[in-house]
Amino acid sequence: MTDSGIHITLQQAAPIPLSVQLDCKSGELLALVGPSGSGKTTVLRAIAGLYQAQNATIICQNEIWQNSVQNIFLAPHQRHVGLVFQNYALFPHMTVLENIQQAISHLPKQQRQTQALELLKKVHLEGLERRYPKNLSGGQQQRVAVARALARQPKVLLLDEPFSAVDQVTRRKLYRELLVLRESLSMPMILVTHDLDESTLLADRIALLHKGEILQTGTPEFVAAHPKSATIARLMDQQNLFTALVIAHDQAKQKTHLRWRGILIEATYQEQFAINERVCWMIQSANILLHRRGRPSNGNKENPLQGQITEYMESSGLAHLRVQVDKKLDTTISINVPLHVAKRNTLGLHEEIGISLLSEGIHLMPYQILRNES
Amino acid sequence: MKLSLLTKQLARSCFLLMLLSPILRAAEIPVIAAASNIKFALEEISTAFHQETGKTLHISYSSSGNLTRQIQQGGPFELFLSANAQYVVQLYQQHKTLDRGQVFALGRLALLTHIGSGLILDEQLNGLKQAQQSGQLQRIAIANPEHAPFGIAAREILQKQQLWDTILPHLILAENAAQATQFASSGAAQVGLVSYSLALAPTLKNRVRYLLIPGALHQPLQQTAVLLNNAGDTAKLFFHYLLQEKARGILSRHGYTLP
Amino acid sequence: MDWQALALSVKLSFVTLLFLLPTGILLGRWLAYRQFWGKSLLQTLLALPLVLPPTVLGYYLLVAFSPNQGLGLWLVNTFGATLIFNFQGLVFASIIFNLPFAIHPMQRAFAAIPREIREAAACCGMRPSLVLWKIELPLAWPGIISAMVMCFAHTLGEFGIVLMVGGNIPAETQTIAIAIYDRVQSFDDHAAAIMSFSLLLFSMLTISFTYWLSARSERTHD
Repeated sequence: MTDSGIHITLQQAAPIPLSVQLDCKSGELLALVGPSGSGKTTVLRAIAGLYQAQNATIICQNEIWQNSVQNIFLAPHQRHVGLVFQNYALFPHMTVLENIQQAISHLPKQQRQTQALELLKKVHLEGLERRYPKNLSGGQQQRVAVARALARQPKVLLLDEPFSAVDQVTRRKLYRELLVLRESLSMPMILVTHDLDESTLLADRIALLHKGEILQTGTPEFVAAHPKSATIARLMDQQNLFTALVIAHDQAKQKTHLRWRGILIEATYQEQFAINERVCWMIQSANILLHRRGRPSNGNKENPLQGQITEYMESSGLAHLRVQVDKKLDTTISINVPLHVAKRNTLGLHEEIGISLLSEGIHLMPYQILRNES
Repeated sequence: MKLSLLTKQLARSCFLLMLLSPILRAAEIPVIAAASNIKFALEEISTAFHQETGKTLHISYSSSGNLTRQIQQGGPFELFLSANAQYVVQLYQQHKTLDRGQVFALGRLALLTHIGSGLILDEQLNGLKQAQQSGQLQRIAIANPEHAPFGIAAREILQKQQLWDTILPHLILAENAAQATQFASSGAAQVGLVSYSLALAPTLKNRVRYLLIPGALHQPLQQTAVLLNNAGDTAKLFFHYLLQEKARGILSRHGYTLP
Repeated sequence: MDWQALALSVKLSFVTLLFLLPTGILLGRWLAYRQFWGKSLLQTLLALPLVLPPTVLGYYLLVAFSPNQGLGLWLVNTFGATLIFNFQGLVFASIIFNLPFAIHPMQRAFAAIPREIREAAACCGMRPSLVLWKIELPLAWPGIISAMVMCFAHTLGEFGIVLMVGGNIPAETQTIAIAIYDRVQSFDDHAAAIMSFSLLLFSMLTISFTYWLSARSERTHD
């Protein structure tokens, strides 16, 4: 029974605290997400063998790369690892072709050249063999770095914020190319990034890292919709994060009743929270309905709220609104609607609108102090 | 990194090994230590020696005191020509020499000044006295009495003429007899009390004026030759050559009195 | 021109280089990459010859290797050899005296190589000796050459130490700098002038070459 994935556990208290357990299957792209300083790069370097964690087990495609208990530690050049560095780390004194060939130096000359040229073609850089890195654009350098990493025929592909050094237009192009490229790759891939949108776009699963600890893993959509704690919700950039009090559970109707700043709202049945227990809750913009003016509908019945638009911003085809549902307590909810919907409903600053919170979108989490609420 | 450390250690050991294995010289040319005042005379004698015997010598010049120290520290010399007898006695007592050595010449001193200077040179050093009193004297060079016998003799002369204390502020102490001569001949020092044989040097012919100082004014400078413990055959041969007719003639021409 | 003295000086410089090239590379590299306890002490010691008067170093070498006591005596008894008044002694002194001239530029050259580039090389499957050969040395070579040139020129001109531990022995320890001193004392200004001017020219060439090299290395590193 062969296991072609990678399994990582890292435990250490100092100098960099780490508490990580990760698994990534072959062909799967796992994004390691977290704010700067969370230890993402350290984890990646540990996988590559550039950093030796104190208590660690790293097994890749059935090869033991590190086992602290058995005192095994393979140096980076003994592991077949492909690492794309944040600043690409191309060899400045070698041409593009020579850079790629360094990863396959064990092959005879002719074969080396053919393979390197093939890889160049794969990353859409034909014709640039003889260029030196300093004469390449950021996007081109990144592609060479990827080609060089792949030339190694790695057992795991590691990418350390490989898109952070390029402009947005180039970045979008590189995203598309990576998505196409990975279809042909059969190894586990781990991408480190601090950009949530990037991870949602590219990754099959994400692992959220905070101060060296993995807080939650899952698909990007799931973690965004069902964060285990308010901290995670924050890290996932949730705008609508509040506290409330559990008032009642209604098992028959599969609802849990909450009181939120004087407003009664209904969530789906989440019995793990006791009555009179304080909780945190969140709701994604996608689970908030806009009451269309002049055309009431059934959806309006769930947790209806009236409010005034206190912030209105348009960007990339969306209108970002903040709706104040209680003037006295200054309670606001964030909601994004497509621009055409905003236009059709003549939404703008100070307009009065109605919204509905879908109870299935109200997700409860254990109580913790939130900074935005007084 | 382990590999580099190993390589480094290897390199270090190779180096030490190479360094410490005694290096055999292709042809064993003996090295002679000679007081610098005897330079020109000795060069001529050495050439004559080579012509007669076909053998070569390497000569290292410095002050007698300095050479004595080097011999004490194991310098590779086989023969020592000192400007006085005391240093040789010292070495003999320290068992560095084969015997007490032999005086082969007597050194003399001279007052030397650059040809352009107006200084009066006389045997009683009155001209010097005058220049000092009138404030015209700036610098006078002698070899360092600490380790050069010609410097000791120069000091003796100055003391005898009651000039030592007054001349002290003008004194330049050269490292050895040759350097003292160089200071005076180039004009860096107005005047020098130097080895007579050096004042006679052909290269200085039209650049200097000099005056021989009477031998009575100082202890005799007994130029002593002594064979050192590791003296080889060539060195011994040269030692005897030094005492013979031809060498003595050369020494005489270079201003040395013969014993 | 005293060709024998010049040949001796050149030989001394080359032999010094022979030992300092690998030592400088390994030590310079080690200091560039590693942090360890006692590093600043080591760096201070290595920099000492830069500010120490040559006579101080000469004095300590004389005291240490005088064959009458201590280390010098042990050397005589064990190997039958000494390290003063001979060429080996000059080489030894020259190596110590040139350590900072060799190590500092090389250390800088290695430190200038971004760590990620070496790591990328390791991830390409290169073992450490190959990384040194294929990546580090090609990138550091201007600094290495510069160091070697400085050492060569510095050795050629070394005087104080040679005078103290050398003994001014022709064909053995009479280097060209000593020869110039010797000629002056022999009132042979002509020879002294020729040799001095030659060394002056050579020093100017050395400095220009070093500057050209560092300008060139800046261009490749962009």
